[in-house]
Amino acid sequence: MQASINVNSNDRQTVLVCCGTGCTANGGREVFKTFETLLKDHAEIELLPVIKATGCNGWCEKGPLVRLLPRDITYCSVAPEDVSEIIDKTLIEGILIKRLLYRDPVSKEYLSSHHQTDFYRKQHKIALRNIGEIDPGQIDDYIEREGYQALKKALQEMSGQDIINIVQAAGLRGRGGGGFPTGRKWQACKNASGEEKFIICNGDEGDPGAFMDRSILEGDPHTIIEGMILGAYAVGASRGYVYVRDEYDLAVQNLGQAIGNARQRGYLGNSILGSDLAFDIEIVRGGGAFVCGEETALIASIEGRTGEPHDKYVFPTEKGLWGMPTVINNVETWANVPVIVLHGAEPFARIGTENSKGTKVFSLVGKVVNTGLVEVPMGTTLREVIYEIGGGLLKKRSFKAVQTGGPSGGCIPASLLDLPIDFDSLIEAGSMMGSGGLIVMDDHTCMVEVARYYTNFLAGESCGKCTPCREGLRAQLEILNRICDGEGTIEDLDLLEDISVTMQGASLCALGRTAPNPVLSTLRYFREEYLAHIEERRCPAGVCRALTTFYIDPVKCTGCQVCKKHCSVNAIQGERKEVHVIDESICIRCGECYRQCAFDAVQLRQEELR
Amino acid sequence: MKIMLNGQEREAREGETILEMCRREGVPIPTFCYHQAFGGQGACRMCMVELREEGQEQMRLVAACTYPIKSSVEIITESERIQRLRRTIVMLLARRAPDNPLMEALARTYSSPRLTAIEVEPPNCILCGLCIHACEEMGRTAIWSMFRGIDKRIGTPYDEASEDCIGCAACARICPTQAINLEEEGSTRRIWNKTFDLVACQRCGKHYATREELEYLWERSEYGQEQLCESCRKKTLAINMKSFQQ
Ligand SMILES: Cc1cc2nc3c(=O)[nH]c(=O)nc-3n(C[C@H](O)[C@H](O)[C@H](O)COP(=O)(O)O)c2cc1C
Ligand code: SF4
Ligand code: FES
Repeated sequence: MQASINVNSNDRQTVLVCCGTGCTANGGREVFKTFETLLKDHAEIELLPVIKATGCNGWCEKGPLVRLLPRDITYCSVAPEDVSEIIDKTLIEGILIKRLLYRDPVSKEYLSSHHQTDFYRKQHKIALRNIGEIDPGQIDDYIEREGYQALKKALQEMSGQDIINIVQAAGLRGRGGGGFPTGRKWQACKNASGEEKFIICNGDEGDPGAFMDRSILEGDPHTIIEGMILGAYAVGASRGYVYVRDEYDLAVQNLGQAIGNARQRGYLGNSILGSDLAFDIEIVRGGGAFVCGEETALIASIEGRTGEPHDKYVFPTEKGLWGMPTVINNVETWANVPVIVLHGAEPFARIGTENSKGTKVFSLVGKVVNTGLVEVPMGTTLREVIYEIGGGLLKKRSFKAVQTGGPSGGCIPASLLDLPIDFDSLIEAGSMMGSGGLIVMDDHTCMVEVARYYTNFLAGESCGKCTPCREGLRAQLEILNRICDGEGTIEDLDLLEDISVTMQGASLCALGRTAPNPVLSTLRYFREEYLAHIEERRCPAGVCRALTTFYIDPVKCTGCQVCKKHCSVNAIQGERKEVHVIDESICIRCGECYRQCAFDAVQLRQEELR
Repeated sequence: MKIMLNGQEREAREGETILEMCRREGVPIPTFCYHQAFGGQGACRMCMVELREEGQEQMRLVAACTYPIKSSVEIITESERIQRLRRTIVMLLARRAPDNPLMEALARTYSSPRLTAIEVEPPNCILCGLCIHACEEMGRTAIWSMFRGIDKRIGTPYDEASEDCIGCAACARICPTQAINLEEEGSTRRIWNKTFDLVACQRCGKHYATREELEYLWERSEYGQEQLCESCRKKTLAINMKSFQQ
């Protein structure tokens, strides 16, 4: 089921220029245009290469990426100035340009294709199978890679119930956070009675730093459309809505174009592919708040009401949009559906762990060498993702924790690095899958400050409707501020725990029920760090300003001047190649020098401050 | 439909909420944001109870004011777990209205620890949302809730005198913590940054309602444009009834 590498079976050369959000920001579009312009002048090439702008390859850090097929060559950090050389040397003469190849940091070998890198080798692409391989604006690109085949198969030989059975047997669980079994959700909607039924794709993606749904919407919109049509056929829905986060202009544009093309080809509309299935899709732009991704808030927002959650004692599958039975699934969930329907439940269910099947897309960020989007089988360990795919920590620092599950996820310590990533193990560890954020933290991170940071985010993003979440977050934030300022007490820790229990038990929606995770997981695994702040008035990581002073170890200092350059208040003095000193009367204790120094020369004064 | 309430078998009407059923059965459940007129909002979470649906092993927590009874459930309205939640909820809300008698009494009932008071706008507001519903019930949208998260608060649009406000004071009357400032002096009333003239009762002369409120009610009522305060209206009604009976 793994995506094959060479898409274009004929030998015509293809230039795939990554125009995902990351590469575009680094000039990918200009590279694409330069190829278009320059290739026009090469009438001598018998069969002109095809140029395609693709979606995000997930390796934004090395972008703009240019891939050449059928030889499967990947060039990194390509600038418009490199294009004529690529055409002359590689496309015409067939010579590799070393300078643009990725060099493995360990073996020092130049790798001709990104598929050979550690970053990609361990990945297994299902939801992201087409991204980077196709031009999202070309419906034929999608069709060429098995696109709309699942739909044809379903309409010809399957009933709606057959589809639900396959999705259930595949063990697909929702990728939007909760991990609810998708087949069971669809069955409930199919069984519910209502004049009309609806399908919703949740593309709100409010987690800061997450961009998996955006990548799919931008880079492979037809897979969402096909997934939703299959869902509609399965449950008997007539209309679909894709709720897209407001900032995602390109996603809206690409998806809009794809919907238009799908209608022209008869995949959407009144009599889909000549059958009596009628279904169409509309795009709705998001309300702009994190909480709008919560399904009942999202439904309220589509209906034009305030985007606030409601109690879900009656599920949306029974009474959802406009009071009608509604299936709502995440973008990535939908992207898996066509593959499952086309190839059957078994190949999908073979991947993953007992209760979490298939793959999951993660956005790997933070203090790791390779950052980006990665899709791995469920059950892959945190260590494999962080060290093998991610290449380990930056600056060879030591690993402290990985934050998973978005703002209301938890922090997992080094002792649990061998934890297999799946829905249930993460919850057991006091965190969650969420939408798939993985933020790697090194030993220069203060875990109390991390808890404070997420609590602060949630305090601003909670809808504020219910008491436990709104007032609980307010009180927790005050306490964490106090501890970071060196004014916390031991009783504060009990209070944090007591409030957490109430938030978990009594909050209206999952935001409030999971919001204590940052506090609880750090208390569980890093309690000694809280105690250091409270009892010794010391921030072991040197992050909390009120509790930290820095000095430069004259033995370790090489006089490289990096700290001096990064000090925003010019508190560091010293000539090149001579020992530097920090003037404590000017220093604002931001810790930038501490984080920047490659020689560990900047040190924390660890004695008690008062 | 038979259900179990605190260990006793009771009869519930299909679709009614746990709270409605308990009120009918005389089982007390504390609430802030519930009002008969508007139904449950599920906002204050004071009404949490423990519940077990058929086939489930563990009891879970649900809001009594929004949970519709649809099957033979088992409900517990008082337990240590519930007591603990209510204690914390009162602790968290009481700091918004530190000197309010209701909140003080509740803090005593639930032995809630006292947290430092916080300044909120309007002072003493516990964000139950009842005032907004009361305004909506009058058919007006003079006040709404602004911002989200810990900044959420109630007010008029842009905190200016709202054109929609008719000074009826339905919001102030429904507020459990008297947080809405209602000033009356002689023939004027001030509420939500707006001053209104009060109309005098034609019988007793008491200033009892704003002109705007009366005009608004007259517009949508089929009865005459009488200018009588509540108690005089009742009296006239009684007199009329008598003459009718004679
Ligand atoms: C605060 C909050 C934010 C959420 N944001 C998203 C989101 O951005 N995208 C998403 O798919 N689901 C989000 N969810 C989960 C949805 O409520 C819902 O469970 C999901 O869309 C169902 O789809 P799935 O079963 O395919 O995961 C959020 C939930 C909460 C509580
Ligand atoms: S838990 Fe938070 S986000 Fe959810 S309804 Fe309550 S206040 Fe709003
Ligand atoms: S009374 Fe039920 S939540 Fe307020």
